[in-house]
Amino acid sequence: MSNDPNKVWPTGLTLSEAEEVHSYLIDGTRVFGVIALIAHILVAISTPWLG
Amino acid sequence: MQWQVWGGLSSGRQAPPFPLFRWSQRHHVRTVHSAMFKYKSFALRKISNFGTRYLPFADAASDDLPLSRLLRLSLFQVTVGMALVLMIGTLNRVMIVELKTPATLVAAMLALPLVFAPFRALIGFKSDNFKSALGLRRLPYIFKGTMLQFGGFAIMPFALLVLSGYGEAIDAPRWIGLAAAALAFLLVGAGMHIVQTVGLALATDLAPEADQPKVVGLMYVSLLMGMIVSAFAYGSLLENYSPGRLIQVIQGSAVVTVVLNGAAMWKQEARNRLRATAPRGPEPNFAMAWAQLSARPGMIRLLAIIAFGTAGFGMADVLMEPFGGQVLDMSVAETTRLTVFLAVGSLVGFSLASRWLGQGARPMDVAIYGAAIGVPAFGCVVLSAETLSVTLLIVSTLAAGFGAGLFGHGTLTATMRSAPRDQIGLSLGAWGAVQTTAAGVSIAVGGVMRDAALSQASSSASPAAAYVPVFMLEAGLLVLALLLALPLWRKSPATALPTPAPDLATDGSAG
Repeated sequence: MSNDPNKVWPTGLTLSEAEEVHSYLIDGTRVFGVIALIAHILVAISTPWLG
Repeated sequence: MQWQVWGGLSSGRQAPPFPLFRWSQRHHVRTVHSAMFKYKSFALRKISNFGTRYLPFADAASDDLPLSRLLRLSLFQVTVGMALVLMIGTLNRVMIVELKTPATLVAAMLALPLVFAPFRALIGFKSDNFKSALGLRRLPYIFKGTMLQFGGFAIMPFALLVLSGYGEAIDAPRWIGLAAAALAFLLVGAGMHIVQTVGLALATDLAPEADQPKVVGLMYVSLLMGMIVSAFAYGSLLENYSPGRLIQVIQGSAVVTVVLNGAAMWKQEARNRLRATAPRGPEPNFAMAWAQLSARPGMIRLLAIIAFGTAGFGMADVLMEPFGGQVLDMSVAETTRLTVFLAVGSLVGFSLASRWLGQGARPMDVAIYGAAIGVPAFGCVVLSAETLSVTLLIVSTLAAGFGAGLFGHGTLTATMRSAPRDQIGLSLGAWGAVQTTAAGVSIAVGGVMRDAALSQASSSASPAAAYVPVFMLEAGLLVLALLLALPLWRKSPATALPTPAPDLATDGSAG
């Protein structure tokens, strides 16, 4: 199971495969973060909640 | 050690029901440790099985493609239809009527996604040559496209409210609302183009040649059904308009988009070890790939036919209703029914085209029949303006929809069939770029022609004079498409559009 040095244990993915899956997660988080930021700025412009 | 203490405590009593207790009575502390390890390995084995079961890609390609799986895949077309209706239909009205945005600005905003249409060929090309350690090509793009679509919908309601000067936004600089609304429409448009291009490429990858007409029919029907259902849904949801309701509806569409696209792509694409471990050659060149594709005999001709035919059929989409209302004095309910008749005609066209192509008809022939039905249909529309016959208009609307269904199905199937196995994304991207651009440009040109004629005509002239030239132009474009297509009529597809040699590398087989 954990013998294969090329595999990330315990998922069975190789290192480059795991990095690719991870990159999608990171991409998604970044996009969602930017979108949330823009949405908050726009809402603050039309209905300010910070005084 | 806690286990031992428990075991000691329970030793003098009757066997407890919890198996761990009984078991620690019988064994020594050391065996307890090894058994713990067994539990650990058991749990980890479960986790690693869990991993492959709940990852969105399939581990092995299956040869058969059951209808349920195809139906699930076609869900991405529903979200595309939803986005189209929301932007072109619902928001078009909401921005002008409720948000009091200038009509020219609205038109400019709604045209923005069209700017992205020619890039479909590039997207398809990129997904053909995507470098992935997992051996995926289509899934990453559908994922990214879905995210863009979601992001656009998420900021769109606030962008529209700022643009219309809602609340305190009236004091904000003008460019903020403009830039935010443009960004929202661009994001949704880009996501839509990416999802549709790559989704169709995935469908082509999955379907064997014999099933392709079925797949095309299903994709078109899902798009149409998505548009019809969401048009009704948006209409009833926004009946009592309020800014809060607008936010709910648009952000609700964002969530529905993610859910449907997620369901559509789940476990559809198989991991391809061959492609994942293939040596990385030189970076493929788009210009070269495009030259290679357009050098195929009949390819440019096919794209030109698609452009003229789509433009010919596309103009009617937005002009049928005002034509019925202004020229034939039909009520709003009656003109809405005209759009329904157009959709019903297309549905019948798609299903009949699927059946004929499934029985071995040639895609180009079906497309030619579609265009050949369209020419007299638009002639009859012009005639109905002369005779003021509503029945004639309804019949010709049905016929135009039917012809559009046959034409669309035939040309998309022809594109799929002619695509080389390693250029499926590029071919379908080219199809999408030509088709979307032609449809958008024709709608704009038709509207401008109508408006120019209406503003020039004196008040005594009949409004029919504004519409007749547009319908004549439609018929003319279809005749052009027919003239281009006639050399391909009744030729075997092998001579007109050579079928590609099978390529082993694309039939996903993962270990």
